[in-house]
Amino acid sequence: MGYVKHHQKRFLLSDDLAYAGPVPAPNHWVVTGKFTDDAANAWRRADGTWSRSLAEAGLLTDEATAKSLAEAAIAHEQREISDPYVIEVHAADGTIDPLTARERIRANGPTVPLRRPDSGLRR
Amino acid sequence: MYQYDDYDRRIITERARQFRGQVARRLTGEITEEEFKPLRLQNGLYMQLHAYMLRVAVPYGLLSSTQVRKLAHIARTYDRGYAHLTTRQNVQYNWPKLADVPTILDELASVEMHAVQTSGNCVRNISSDHFAGVAPDELEDPRPYCEILRQWSTFHPEFAYLPRKFKIAVTGTPGDDRTAVRFHDIGLRLVENAAGEHGFEVIVGGGMGRTPQIGEVIREFLPKRYLLSYIESILRVYNLFGRRDNKFKARIKILVAALGIDEFRRRVEEDWEASRTPALELPDAEIERVRAFFTPPPYETLPPSDTQLAAFALGRDRDFGTWVKNNVYRHKVPGYSAVVISVKMPGVPPGDVSDTQLDSIAAVADAYSFGQVVVTHTQNLVLPDVKTSELPRLHAELVALDLGKANAGKLTDVITCPGLDYCDLANARSIPLSLEIAERFDRIDYLNDVGDVSIKISGCINSCGHHHVGNIGILGIDKRGAEFYQLMLGGSPGNDASIGKILGAALSQDEIVGAIEKVLERYLLVRESPDERFLETVRRVGLEPFKQAVYGGAAAVGAA
Repeated sequence: MGYVKHHQKRFLLSDDLAYAGPVPAPNHWVVTGKFTDDAANAWRRADGTWSRSLAEAGLLTDEATAKSLAEAAIAHEQREISDPYVIEVHAADGTIDPLTARERIRANGPTVPLRRPDSGLRR
Repeated sequence: MYQYDDYDRRIITERARQFRGQVARRLTGEITEEEFKPLRLQNGLYMQLHAYMLRVAVPYGLLSSTQVRKLAHIARTYDRGYAHLTTRQNVQYNWPKLADVPTILDELASVEMHAVQTSGNCVRNISSDHFAGVAPDELEDPRPYCEILRQWSTFHPEFAYLPRKFKIAVTGTPGDDRTAVRFHDIGLRLVENAAGEHGFEVIVGGGMGRTPQIGEVIREFLPKRYLLSYIESILRVYNLFGRRDNKFKARIKILVAALGIDEFRRRVEEDWEASRTPALELPDAEIERVRAFFTPPPYETLPPSDTQLAAFALGRDRDFGTWVKNNVYRHKVPGYSAVVISVKMPGVPPGDVSDTQLDSIAAVADAYSFGQVVVTHTQNLVLPDVKTSELPRLHAELVALDLGKANAGKLTDVITCPGLDYCDLANARSIPLSLEIAERFDRIDYLNDVGDVSIKISGCINSCGHHHVGNIGILGIDKRGAEFYQLMLGGSPGNDASIGKILGAALSQDEIVGAIEKVLERYLLVRESPDERFLETVRRVGLEPFKQAVYGGAAAVGAA
C-alpha cells in the first residue's frame, strides 16, 4: 500500500506554472485562508461559505471589500478558517488564475508526485 | 541506544496529553489560531502551504528498527504513505489532520519518540555525525554528549523563549567534520589536549540563513565536566543581549558578529565564572552512565575486509562495484562496513521514504545492522554496522526496495529543502529542480568523471537546503511572483569550511539546469587533473571562468 513508482515521470521545472507571456494584470480579488481541520487551502465563496477549490471562489471587484471580508473572517470565522488574507487574480472566460507561483501551487497542489492522493475531507 | 527512564516517559506522555486538550480547544473554536500557534509550534506542528506538517525529533539521527516501523505505521495510518527525511536528521510528515496529531504523539511516545522542540525559539534537536560510533578516525563517540545535551535542553525553563531558534552539533571526528559544526549556533568538536585528555573545542556564532557566518572558536579546550555550565553561559549571554526587535537579526551569529568574538567571549567567561556551581558539573559517573547506552553491539571477531572491499569495487558486477565505491564506508571494527542507503532515487522527491520502504528498512536493519539506522543531514540513511561479507546480499535487497542507488556524495545526491511545493516560506520550488538535475546527470560515467561535487538547493533564504555550503549552491528567489534561481559556487560545510559566492544574475527556471551543466563542462575543461576536485578547481581559478561559461561576457554580478 502507499508507494507508487514515479520512475517514468519526467520533470520539467518550467511547466504550466510559468506564464508564456507577460503576467496578466489583476482584475479581481479573492479571499483565501486555511481550513483549521487539516490546514488545506480555502477560498471564500460568494455566499460566504468556504470551498477547497479556487474555481468556486467568489470574485470581488475591489480590494477594499475583499480586505474587509478577510478581516471579518479573522474576527468571526476563526474556528473553521485560519489566517485569512486577500489575493489578486485574473479572471476571464470562466477561469480564475492566481498571479504568483505561490498562489498557483496553493490552488493546484504540489507539482511533485505524492505517494497517495488525499483521502481527506471534501466540502 | 538511549532508553527512556520513568522521568522521560512521564514528561513525553504528559506533553502529548496536554496537546490533546489544546487541539480540542482549537477545534471547537475556544482558542484562535493566533493563540494556538505558539502551542502547536512547541509540539513541532507547522501550518504549511497545503496542510499541517509534523516534525518528529530524531536525536542525533539514531533510530531503532522498532521506531522505524512506528514511523511507517504513522505514515500509512495518519498521513499519505510516506515520511520525509530532513537536513537536521529529523523526520517530517506533510499531511496530518489536526485531530489526529495528539494520537500520533501518543504513538511516538510508545516508542520513546516525540516532536518536542522541533520548532520554536528554543534549543532544537542536537545533530551529530551519521558515522558516530563506527568511524575509524573517531576520537570518541559524540552521541553520549548529544544525549546529555538533549536531556539538559529539553524543557529547560531559562531557554524556552530565546530570541531565535538554537542549533547545536557535536562531532567526535575532529579530522573530518561531517556535521557542519562551524555552521551551527554552537558547534562542539571533541579534541585531545597536550596532556592526552579529551574535551571540547567550542565554536559559536556559525549559521546559514540570510547572513551566513562561519562560527568562531570561543574556547579551544573545554574540559568535559564544564560542558553544561559553559553552554548555559553562552545561552544566557545570547538570551540577554540577542536582538528580539528584528527576527532577521536575532540569531546568535548576529550578536557574535556585532560584539566581536573577543567581547562575546569576555561576557561568556564573566557569566561562567559567576554562575558555575558544582550542580552543573558533569561528573565522570554521569558521563559513564549515559555512555553505557552506546556500548558497541556484539561484533564478531572477523579479519580485516579492506581487500574484500577493493575486490567488490572492481568486480564484474559494475552496479554493485559502483555502489561499494560510493556508498560503503570504512568501519572501525575489522570485517564491518558502514553503508549509506541513498534516498535520492530518480523521480522520487529527495528524502521521501514510503511506508513499505520504512518497514523494509527496519527488516534490513534487523538482519544486517543490529537493528539500528541513522538519518543523515544529507537526507539519506545509514546502516552503521554491516558485515562486509554480506554487502552483496544487502545490495540486492536494497535494489529490490528501490533504495540501491550508487550515488552517495555524488552530483545526483542533492540536498533539497521542501521548497514551494510544500513550504509556506519558500519563494521557489526545490524538489522539481532537484529531480531535473538528477535526471539530466544520471549517467554513471559522467558522475564518476565529475567526481565529488555537492549540489544543495534552498527554496528561500532560510537555507534549509544548506545552499551556502554546497560546492554548487542554488537559492530560489521570487521576482514579481515568478521563480528564479541564484547560482553560487565554492561552499563547503566541512573542516575546510567556506561560504559559496554568487556567480551572477539570477537565472530563470528555463536556464538554471543548463547553467549547472555549463559550470560542470567548464570544470572538466579547466581542472588540472582528474584528481582535482570541483571545489579545489573553483578555489584555484576563481569564479571568472564559470561566469564566462554561464553568462558569456555579460555577467551581472550580484543582480537578482
